[in-house]
Amino acid sequence: MNHHALVPLGLALLSGFLVPWTLVRARWAQQVPRLAVTVWAACGAVFAVASALLPAQLLLPGESSHRLSDMVLTLRVPSPGQLFALRGRELAALAVAVAVLAVPAGAFALGLRRARRARRQHAGVLRLIGRYDPELRAVVLDHARPAVYCLPGRSRRVVVSSGAVDTLTPAQLAAALAHERAHIAGRHHLLVAAAEAFGTVFRRLPLARHGSSAVPLLLEMAADDRALRRCTRDALATALYALAAGRAPRAAFAAGGPSAALRMRRILTPHSAGHPVLRGLATIGAAALAMAPLVVACCSFPA
Amino acid sequence: MHVRRLGELEAEIMDRLWAWQRPATVREVVDDINRGRRVAYTTVMTVADILHRKGWLRREKAGRAWLYEPVRSREEYTAGLMRDALGDSQDRPAALLRFVEAISDEDVEALDAALRAARGEADAGTAPGGRA
Repeated sequence: MNHHALVPLGLALLSGFLVPWTLVRARWAQQVPRLAVTVWAACGAVFAVASALLPAQLLLPGESSHRLSDMVLTLRVPSPGQLFALRGRELAALAVAVAVLAVPAGAFALGLRRARRARRQHAGVLRLIGRYDPELRAVVLDHARPAVYCLPGRSRRVVVSSGAVDTLTPAQLAAALAHERAHIAGRHHLLVAAAEAFGTVFRRLPLARHGSSAVPLLLEMAADDRALRRCTRDALATALYALAAGRAPRAAFAAGGPSAALRMRRILTPHSAGHPVLRGLATIGAAALAMAPLVVACCSFPA
Repeated sequence: MHVRRLGELEAEIMDRLWAWQRPATVREVVDDINRGRRVAYTTVMTVADILHRKGWLRREKAGRAWLYEPVRSREEYTAGLMRDALGDSQDRPAALLRFVEAISDEDVEALDAALRAARGEADAGTAPGGRA
């Protein structure tokens, strides 16, 4: 046990608890969803690394733990030679750190693989029964219920049901398609998969609990914003309404929660982007500042 | 390019068998495709065999030729895709990104109110969701 464990401990508390608690209550988050998603992603990365460093620092003898702290703070990657020279407790510490890091990384990789397999299967069926519409630049599926979705990743494509083509006006349909293309262009499926992996691995952690529901919604909002560059607020809001309400037997629907209402209100209420950006940056700055005393204290102690 | 062609041919074969709604031989399919474009008998035979192995077609011997027939209707496959698309199958990982989740009646009312409120000044009384 040595005081160098304080830095990863502080970082873990900050990224795993404090920032998520403020972020989930922050009103600026939904006004600048891309910035908010970046903060969530940064929290996830910092937490994963900190949770791997913490047990390593506890295992290491004082001197080598000081060197590790230096490396992390200066972002210096150890050379392969240094790694091979590790012995005894240092090697054990490295093994523990890698093992801890492998848990969320493994869940992420597994989730991606399962999703890819499901998409490939879906795309295989779609290829035989869908009909590509060059004008819409989307695959049309013959079904009365209105639906618009996209397959991201390798076999990327936007899919609309014939019900959606019939129900929506051309402007509304274009708005929905622009939203889906924003998902594909932004590779949002990777962030959703990461949030899901975190949600399953660290179930009780505020970062994972709040993040796994906040990130997908924020990504929807980011895609809404991107779509709004090319369509009117009214077109996007009406498309959202028509597709959410559907036309099939209403009782059969699973409750999708209030996210559609949140998005709708947001789309229909124009806002200035300047202020929330500042507030978001202030949150990040405050978090960084909160860490400063810990880092200073840690570095000024004699090894 | 070659792969894409094969995929298109798969769709062409399935389309015909679904439309005819009866078992058919490779010869019948080839003759029908040949009305539009040239395609070799052996190519169609190969692709029909692939579809059989993938589980799309079942076949039985009729004399010296195979009679092919879709395992499931087009509608059944469409329904399966729509289940994925609308998020009705819960066990799936987030493979697709939907435009919006299907929602409950109360939420529809809430959306309704929001849309109506926003349009209040512009055109009072128009039904939301309808074509404005």
